[in-house]
Amino acid sequence: MIIDSILKSVDMIPAFPAAVQKVAELLRDEDYAVADVVNVIKYDQAIAANILKISNSAYFGARQKIKTIHNAVVYLGRQQLIRAVQTSGISKIYQKGGKGYASQARDLWEHAVAVALMSQILCRKIQGREDPILYTAALLHDVGKVIMGEYVQEYFQKIIGRVHERKCSFLEAEEEFIGINHANLGGRIAEHWNFPSEIRDAIAYHHRPDLLEEEGNTNASLVYLSDQACLMMGLTGGVDALAYTGLEDVMRHFDLRMVDLEKSFIALLDELERAKELMHIG
Amino acid sequence: MNEIIVGISDLKVSNNPGDALVTYALGSCIGVAVFDPKVKVGGLLHFMLPDSSLDANKAKAMPGMFADTGVIALFKACYAYGAEKKRMVVKVAGGANILDDTNYFRIGQKNIMALRKIFWRNNVLIDGEETGENCNRTVRLELSNGRCILKSSNGTVRDL
Repeated sequence: MIIDSILKSVDMIPAFPAAVQKVAELLRDEDYAVADVVNVIKYDQAIAANILKISNSAYFGARQKIKTIHNAVVYLGRQQLIRAVQTSGISKIYQKGGKGYASQARDLWEHAVAVALMSQILCRKIQGREDPILYTAALLHDVGKVIMGEYVQEYFQKIIGRVHERKCSFLEAEEEFIGINHANLGGRIAEHWNFPSEIRDAIAYHHRPDLLEEEGNTNASLVYLSDQACLMMGLTGGVDALAYTGLEDVMRHFDLRMVDLEKSFIALLDELERAKELMHIG
Repeated sequence: MNEIIVGISDLKVSNNPGDALVTYALGSCIGVAVFDPKVKVGGLLHFMLPDSSLDANKAKAMPGMFADTGVIALFKACYAYGAEKKRMVVKVAGGANILDDTNYFRIGQKNIMALRKIFWRNNVLIDGEETGENCNRTVRLELSNGRCILKSSNGTVRDL
């Protein structure tokens, strides 16, 4: 069975970068010690290099060149540091694959960054603040594709044929031919990493937040909307394109109108211009 | 061939026969490719939203963002190179929608309707079109002969 070998792949997936977990734990305390954070980051070369790159990027707008990890940690501050460490740690996970959906792994990553930025734009609009947990969930929402890609490639003609003839979503076609969809598979990976349920469910239900029984987890709905918006903007890089279900109840729930969505397109285009460095880390 | 990439909310015009104008990943956005075969001037627009009244300042800075300001800017830029409206061949692609589309997400359709209205008002006929559905599209306009190639995420490649 395909599903068995897929689930075996989940067990084989490398551990979530320890430095990312550790920094997130340290930063949970608003009184964190800079030295402690520096001590964690400096032992992960890739993340250390990325933190320097990100802190010098136009997105974070440093006026002077930041040359040391210590200065980067001080400069970025708690909120931005969480975001920078998550972004650089998670970019490594997406490098592992994605063929089948996209022509190159980079496309999946660029889509993940776009959805993460969009999630914060919508969160600011709806809740008046940013949310680092939502940011993490949004960055990881398509992590299931890293494993699924191989199988989607194999069954592509069947899947795309079914999407066309029956007008079903790409998600349903994945389930039919592969036995699981990429969102649920992503949820399994999050579980394998012992992520909290608010992140796990946001990943597993990012195409169908309406099926989530637990009330109050708005992350799944926000990742859903951010993803749909990016798919519409063409920021997908995937063969699945826009073949997903539109759920107007999610828009209603947040009291959003189409014009709000249109404005969020413009906001994202601005942010992407500044966030190019985030897409080119790795 | 020298590839000139047209980003989201952008437009490019050329009269160099060695150029190809390309725009990737049109989802709900629409690509408008125009070509005047006599003077061999071509342009490609990748607009994102139907109506510039949403953000007048943005429309000024990036006219290619909206259907109304984008189409005008595209045609004007072609005229500056000697193109004439009556000779211009017009191709349109994009405007895809997500499934079970409700009014909440129908930006692709709104884009198509806005574009049709602008063309109708200005007596412009569309010579080739592939819009709607739920795929991503890439459009390539070759300046040497005006060939317009459409590639879709569902695997098809064809001349528009």
